[in-house]
Amino acid sequence: MAAVMQHASAYLERFSSSQAGRDWEPKWLRERRELAMERFLRMGVPTPRDEEYKYTDLRSLSDGRFLLSPDEPGGHARPAHLAGQRIAAACGDSLAVAGPAPPGIRLMSLSEALVRGEPWLEDRLASVASFERHALCALNTALFEDGIVIVAEAGADSTEPLHLEFGPGRVARLARVLVIAERSSRVTVVETYSGLGEYWRNAVTEIHVSENARVDHVRAQLESPRSFHTGVVQAAQERDSRMSSFSLSFGARVARNDIGTRLDGTGCDCSLDGLYAVRGHQLVDHHTGIDHAMPHCHSHQLYKGVLDGNARGVFNGKIFVRRDAQKTDAVQSNKNLLLSDSAEVNTKPQLEIDANDVRCTHGATIGQLDADAAFYLRSRGIGEAEARKLLTYAFATDALDRVGVASLRERFEALLLDRFAPEAA
Amino acid sequence: MLRISNLHASVDGKRILRGIDLDVEAGTVHAVMGPNGSGKSTLAAVLAGRDGYSVDAGSVTFRGQDLLDMDPEIRAREGLFLAFQYPVEIPGVSMMYFLREAVNSIRRYRGLAELAAGDFIRLARQKIQPLGIDPGMLKRAVNEGFSGGEKKRCEVFQMSVLEPCLGILDETDSGLDIDALKVVSEGVNGLRGPDRAFVVITHYQRLLRYIVPDYVHVLANGRIARSGDRTLALDLERHGYRWIEERSTALAAAGT
Ligand SMILES: Nc1ncnc2c1ncn2[C@@H]1O[C@H](COP(=O)(O)OP(=O)(O)OP(=O)(O)O)[C@@H](O)[C@H]1O
Ligand SMILES: [Mg+2]
Repeated sequence: MAAVMQHASAYLERFSSSQAGRDWEPKWLRERRELAMERFLRMGVPTPRDEEYKYTDLRSLSDGRFLLSPDEPGGHARPAHLAGQRIAAACGDSLAVAGPAPPGIRLMSLSEALVRGEPWLEDRLASVASFERHALCALNTALFEDGIVIVAEAGADSTEPLHLEFGPGRVARLARVLVIAERSSRVTVVETYSGLGEYWRNAVTEIHVSENARVDHVRAQLESPRSFHTGVVQAAQERDSRMSSFSLSFGARVARNDIGTRLDGTGCDCSLDGLYAVRGHQLVDHHTGIDHAMPHCHSHQLYKGVLDGNARGVFNGKIFVRRDAQKTDAVQSNKNLLLSDSAEVNTKPQLEIDANDVRCTHGATIGQLDADAAFYLRSRGIGEAEARKLLTYAFATDALDRVGVASLRERFEALLLDRFAPEAA
Repeated sequence: MLRISNLHASVDGKRILRGIDLDVEAGTVHAVMGPNGSGKSTLAAVLAGRDGYSVDAGSVTFRGQDLLDMDPEIRAREGLFLAFQYPVEIPGVSMMYFLREAVNSIRRYRGLAELAAGDFIRLARQKIQPLGIDPGMLKRAVNEGFSGGEKKRCEVFQMSVLEPCLGILDETDSGLDIDALKVVSEGVNGLRGPDRAFVVITHYQRLLRYIVPDYVHVLANGRIARSGDRTLALDLERHGYRWIEERSTALAAAGT
């Protein structure tokens, strides 16, 4: 293996020692990991010279120290339980899957699925999320230790959210999730990420949505304010399927999320939505990608951001409409609220349209709190900080409306209000 | 209750109020009239504490305290209420939530227990009914998509819930049809009492038939050019502002 990357040694060392202990893994996975490691070493941790990472500086991650180091001592403050059944938690060096699963849903650890030799794994694992051109996805693929697999069996209809909780520890640093919704099934998955101190988490979630199935995916990134969070969520959709993704990003010093779906069949529907709220010196970067490969599909995107202090936001929304994807309907919107003069946002839609009979719209706004509205509230006796909080909440509320699970939406509202509460202002 | 002495104020370096003197005693209603651009809304905004106005001279005391020294929310909690000429639309904030927050901010300031949601709803329903507003409005976002008339009624509704000591109404009658005007006037009259005062800014004598003022003042070129009783409003209706404006320009030119 040709190591062209600087600082490769720590990664290589971890890789070799892990591979050595993985002789039980199927050959196809071992090969995929080899390939992924090679790809990662060739590409390296992205730098701002890379157009895709122009505003997001990950250079301090290049030597792998924050990813591979053990956790800082100190008890892990578990995030308040968000919603639904906590079915899996990755903490420390292991992963716990707790039953009982709702009817029609199978959950297991990835290692368990591999040991059992589930026949569908080879087609789905490390294949929906391509690591060919994505260094961080490649890194996760090469190194992940275990993960969580959710299978919604054909016809299963489960709206109760399944909650995957990722805390500190070796396994969770390289979180790996695989969701498979078989024909005409429905499943709701919530992932939460949190930790303490300085660390880097590099997570990958793959979602396969079969014909006429529906997956609702929610991701709550509530990492420690000193941490780095990079995450990939990639879905592949068959005909007549629906998929929704909601990304809540409040934590981490630097957070980068790549969220995408490939519409591989006709009549698909997807929505990629999110809310980010950052302050201090935080940076949050969302790159979304919707690949309209087939006709008659709809995509909808609403990302909203609230930025205070010296925080920085990045939004890049790619929409590809392939030649065959006639009658595509794609809507994208990114709206930002700057609460301070030194906060900043870079937002960019990126549309590549090769079909001619399509409707694609996009819009981006960056604004400040409406001074007239703030004065109106204050003139009724509402304090300045409270007025600011109320208007911030009002700004974000239609994004939060896109979270389908009511209990979760309420928790997110409370988290948002806390975040810009008077003490923090 | 309110004492304005020699108040000068400007916006963006432009002098708008040029020496206002006005005394408002508890239990009285003062009408303020005057041509467009004479400074009526500016006076209201300065009293309510809106940003962007600089007070260049003079003083205002409200119930014995320096009003100009207070933040807008403190003025409201001390009992001042401004019904806006152009109420602001606030998408995403429900009328109900907004008004309960307002009531409770004021109650907290005064050391009273907060109103629970149920009690507040009862209070709101009771106050909204005589104003002929559909209670469904409480669930809507503040002023969003309200018609001009609905916004004005809603200002009076807010005032009747907050029960201020001093209500300043900036052209609350504009845009109201005659029935709405009656209803709104009754709302204001219902609040009149020995401990309350009102400053009613209007262009129309019509309103003053329903809300009968104790005094009428005419603002021109940033000063009170003339004060009188309610018959002054009738004179204005007959002769227009011209004769008063001419007089005040002459006064300004003479440097008084
Ligand atoms: N931000 C501003 N910058 C410059 N001039 C302003 C500003 N705001 C108000 N003015 C000016 O101040 C003057 C007084 O305005 P004001 O709104 O107080 O008048 P008004 O008496 O309420 O008029 P109307 O009867 O039309 O409501 C006007 O000439 C107006 O153009
Ligand atoms: Mg005016």
